[in-house]
Amino acid sequence: MSYDTIIEMQDLARHYEMGGVTIKALDGIDIQIGRSEYVSIVGPSGSGKTTLFNLIGGLDRPTRGRVYIDGIDISKLDAFELAWLRCRKIGYIFQTFNLIQVLTALENVALPTVFAGVPRDDGLAKAEKLLKSVGLGERIHHRPMELSAGQQQRVAIARAMANDPSIILADEPTGNLDLNTGMEIIDLLHGLNKTRGMTLIAATHDLKMIKASNRIVWMRDGKIERVERG
Amino acid sequence: MGRNEARDRVHFTLGDALRLGYEHIRQTRDKTSMNVASIALGIAFLSTLLVTDAFYRAYSLEGGARLSVEAYQFWLMFVALVVTIVGVTNAMLISVYERYREIGTMKCLGAMDDHILKLFVVESLIQGALGGALGFVLGILGALLSTGFTIGFYIITKVPAMELLRLFVGSMVLSTLLAVVATLYPAIRAARLNPVEALSYEL
Repeated sequence: MSYDTIIEMQDLARHYEMGGVTIKALDGIDIQIGRSEYVSIVGPSGSGKTTLFNLIGGLDRPTRGRVYIDGIDISKLDAFELAWLRCRKIGYIFQTFNLIQVLTALENVALPTVFAGVPRDDGLAKAEKLLKSVGLGERIHHRPMELSAGQQQRVAIARAMANDPSIILADEPTGNLDLNTGMEIIDLLHGLNKTRGMTLIAATHDLKMIKASNRIVWMRDGKIERVERG
Repeated sequence: MGRNEARDRVHFTLGDALRLGYEHIRQTRDKTSMNVASIALGIAFLSTLLVTDAFYRAYSLEGGARLSVEAYQFWLMFVALVVTIVGVTNAMLISVYERYREIGTMKCLGAMDDHILKLFVVESLIQGALGGALGFVLGILGALLSTGFTIGFYIITKVPAMELLRLFVGSMVLSTLLAVVATLYPAIRAARLNPVEALSYEL
């Protein structure tokens, strides 16, 4: 594995049993992703994009194969180490934002710092800075219900960056947004990838998002169909 | 990413659980107030009987007739407490379903099973304490109403304060215990949720 590789997948597969039928959600994925790279994962729904993300994030265990993050086989990690990985190494961004409804924008962004054991005041200060950086400095005390879809996704992006992860996993981040708002979110994510050097892996159908990326991985039926340079 | 390093680094203290739990209770007042109300009713029934009993004892010490609470009433109270537990368990299970996505998200952000468990138990403790305090006040009112018209409302001044305090502490302990017992199963279910399933769950 070369120095620049941050994620490596070897023959990665995830099969499910459903009513006696084996469903091959992922079936033999081999790919290396470089540090600070921006990779788009493209494919029809059911092609295995979300399953791939779940395996990279250590949320799910593969049926076969390995995922290495920074050279460490994550299937060998125990529950504490996996929680640490999700908390510190990886930032998640979801299509449906998944903010905690009862918490304000500020508290939502500060939540990962709680799990990371950052003192409360430091965590809140960091969260405020991050919210300012995504253009929501005026709305830090609003709850998700009081924010527009685009604003909620900005909060989610700020939350994903709370512990300065080296990898951002974004599952259809513009899927629930209109064209203009989607563009703003793409610019924001692209900017983070450029300025902070975070590795960005985004599942998307969005052509604009695909165009901005370094590499495009086309998936179909749990396999990589082809890989293009962006 | 050594083992000890990881162990040191994922945190969710009791204070964190209290802060988040309190926010939940405050923001979902209509739902939690049903839980608090059912605990309060169970405790109110219990403390009505116990306080009435204390009133009767004070009355007989004053030279009045020996009155007592009927044994079957204590059985009714027991049934009322069981019904409370079942009701609260049911409400908490629904709350877990409604919070599937939230639980999945928290696990993505680094929460571990026992952090989720802690959060749910702390929330039930707060609700239990609120229900206990409210139930005790209702219980005193109930006891006054059931005895006041026959032996006189002054009787409350004849009951030693220590005895009322003891009954209060007793109902608080019982109500929090009740709430925790009722929440344990839903909380364990929530804690064990697979994050992948939790995140893909549609209400």
